[in-house]
Amino acid sequence: MKKIFHIAHLDLKLTIRDKAFFFWFLAFPMFFILIFGNLYKSNPADKKAALLIVNQDRGQWGNYFVKKLESPDIELDVRTSVPEKIIRMLVIPADFSEKLVTQNSQELQLRKNSAANMEAGAVAETKIVQAIARLLSELIIYGNRNIEDFFAAHTPFNDLVSIETRLPKDTVAVVPSGFDHTIPGTIVQFIMMMVLIYGGVMVLEDRKNRVMERILFSATSFGELFNGKLLGRLLMGLMQAAILIIAGKIFFHLNLGNIFLSSLVVLVFTLAMACLSIFVGSVLHKEELIVAVSVLAGNVFAALGGCWWPAEIIPPTFRILAMVSPAYWAMDAFHQVIFFGKGLASILPNLLILLAFTSVFMVLALRFFKIRE
Amino acid sequence: MQPPILEIKNLSKAYDHGKNPALVNFSLGLNKGEVLGLLGPNGAGKTTLISILSGTLRDFSGSVVFKGMDLFADRQLRNQIGIVPQEMAFYEELGAMENLMFWGGLYSIPEKELKKRAQDLLALVELSSRAKEPIKKFSGGMKRRLNVAIGLIHQPELLLLDEPTVGIDVQAKVSILDIIRQVGLQGTTVVFTTHQLAEVEQTCSRIAIMDKGIILAQGTLNELIRIVGEKDIVIVSGEFSADRFSDAIKPLIHNDIEILSITDNEAHLAFANSEGIPGMMQHLFQQHVSLADLKIKSPNLEAVFLKLTGRSLRD
Ligand SMILES: Nc1ncnc2c1ncn2[C@@H]1O[C@H](COP(=O)(O)OP(=O)(O)O)[C@@H](O)[C@H]1O
Ligand SMILES: [Mg+2]
Repeated sequence: MKKIFHIAHLDLKLTIRDKAFFFWFLAFPMFFILIFGNLYKSNPADKKAALLIVNQDRGQWGNYFVKKLESPDIELDVRTSVPEKIIRMLVIPADFSEKLVTQNSQELQLRKNSAANMEAGAVAETKIVQAIARLLSELIIYGNRNIEDFFAAHTPFNDLVSIETRLPKDTVAVVPSGFDHTIPGTIVQFIMMMVLIYGGVMVLEDRKNRVMERILFSATSFGELFNGKLLGRLLMGLMQAAILIIAGKIFFHLNLGNIFLSSLVVLVFTLAMACLSIFVGSVLHKEELIVAVSVLAGNVFAALGGCWWPAEIIPPTFRILAMVSPAYWAMDAFHQVIFFGKGLASILPNLLILLAFTSVFMVLALRFFKIRE
Repeated sequence: MQPPILEIKNLSKAYDHGKNPALVNFSLGLNKGEVLGLLGPNGAGKTTLISILSGTLRDFSGSVVFKGMDLFADRQLRNQIGIVPQEMAFYEELGAMENLMFWGGLYSIPEKELKKRAQDLLALVELSSRAKEPIKKFSGGMKRRLNVAIGLIHQPELLLLDEPTVGIDVQAKVSILDIIRQVGLQGTTVVFTTHQLAEVEQTCSRIAIMDKGIILAQGTLNELIRIVGEKDIVIVSGEFSADRFSDAIKPLIHNDIEILSITDNEAHLAFANSEGIPGMMQHLFQQHVSLADLKIKSPNLEAVFLKLTGRSLRD
């Protein structure tokens, strides 16, 4: 065990000593965080499904309808005239009550700005449909009476009609965005790139410098050497994650949800990359090739896996493609923990899939681990 | 008499699926405290032997017993053996001191003791003043010395060096050989391979000559020289082909003149009686073999080597 740490420690030391360490491990990922964090910043004004209501109704039912719309998920702004800028706006026409009482059909208009958040819009629409259904139900049940007076006198009947709308399964009500999405995304991407680049190149260099063979001149076994290399790469990845988490906390008020679960995701994902880096460093024979492959794979899998933009907004067909990227499972687990407050049970499938990736990469690494030229 | 510290028996190893034999029933015993020089031309099998002994080369037959135990049965025996590979092996980015601390860390040596040993070794290989500099700035000779020092950090009982002086200038060579002598004087058993005659002549208590995977002869320098007898070695050179010279010299071959080697433009002959030399020259002249130069030497290791292998070591 001591030898494993001894070997791992040296790889970590050589990584930190590298001239480009500061750039790769801090400056470059911070650049990514700034770019994508601002690009996919959520619109705070629109987070709570803002709904502007222009109530032009001359009768009493317009107001009653607005009351039915009230809900904690929705931010109502009731006015009587149309303002210049709108996000989404519901217009209650002047003859609303009149048509209601005379039982004539009528149309309500919901107008939306093209930039308005789609998911918030869905929430608003759902609430409008609910309110219409409730109002109609009440009118049917208590028709021809003064409903307000009836409810005032019979409070237990207040909730007699309740409508629950269930969104189709897997409908996303919240889309992860902002720095809490971008920083984990950058962490995943840079664990991938840094462990593959540094971990891979150092396997190659060690082989060229014949140091791995020399380590085996001592009583160190092949297994200890392999595990030492694996641990070294695991520590590289964890160090990358720690750097970005600390920077994220200091500069962007990063919230990682349950830190234990987030760390577990980082750990399992890094382990997969540690195995992969030994494989990459063993089968490729040129430093430039390893760097090129690592940067390419890192970026493709990051983009595909939802590190740059949330996988939740990727069309379903592409989402299936995204599942080949280990990054997808890590990011999905992060979103569950950070944005949906889910527990271990929810991310367990993700962790198991990442462990399956790890096993495959581990077998490849063991099979191809090349100690000498 | 003490049992040998290392006993190699019938070691055979062939590359390329048995088509390319590198060691052929190679046997060699080594006594505690001796410094053995293993002399052999390029391709003789020296590196193959050291690689097998270092435990990194597999698929061979034969046995190696170290201090009464099968060398390959227990990894822990590696703690008592130091290996200095032919190709330098260390971390170029690190300093000499850091390298020694890393390599020493693979053996369970207490930190403080390790530090002291590293300092002592740096003094031995004359790198104390450059201890902190990254190795990549070192000269070839300095790297070679560090390469040796790393093999010594765990104070092995047996030190195996594979061509430790290859590719460095004369002064650096002298320094390496000096280190080997000092290590030997401290009681460490040493085997070093080389294709340089002078190195074994100067450094070793015993010499083994190998070629094509086997030991051809072994003993002290004097014992080996006796193989060519008390003869003078004559080296003639000129404009002739090996075949032309062989044909010309044939009638003179009898007990007094022995052919050690003949190549184009150069031949090595051993004369039991130096009075025969003028006669030979006259004969060759009559045969129209033109000689440009003739040297007479007293018997030496080179002559032994030529007699045993039929080829010169200088290539
Ligand atoms: N890895 C290898 N694959 C194939 N043949 C090899 C290999 N290593 C050495 N040989 C061959 O084995 C023979 C002995 O080589 P080596 O042990 O390196 O000799 P030396 O160190 O004395 O120069 C040579 O003929 C060489 O070509
Ligand atoms: Mg060799």
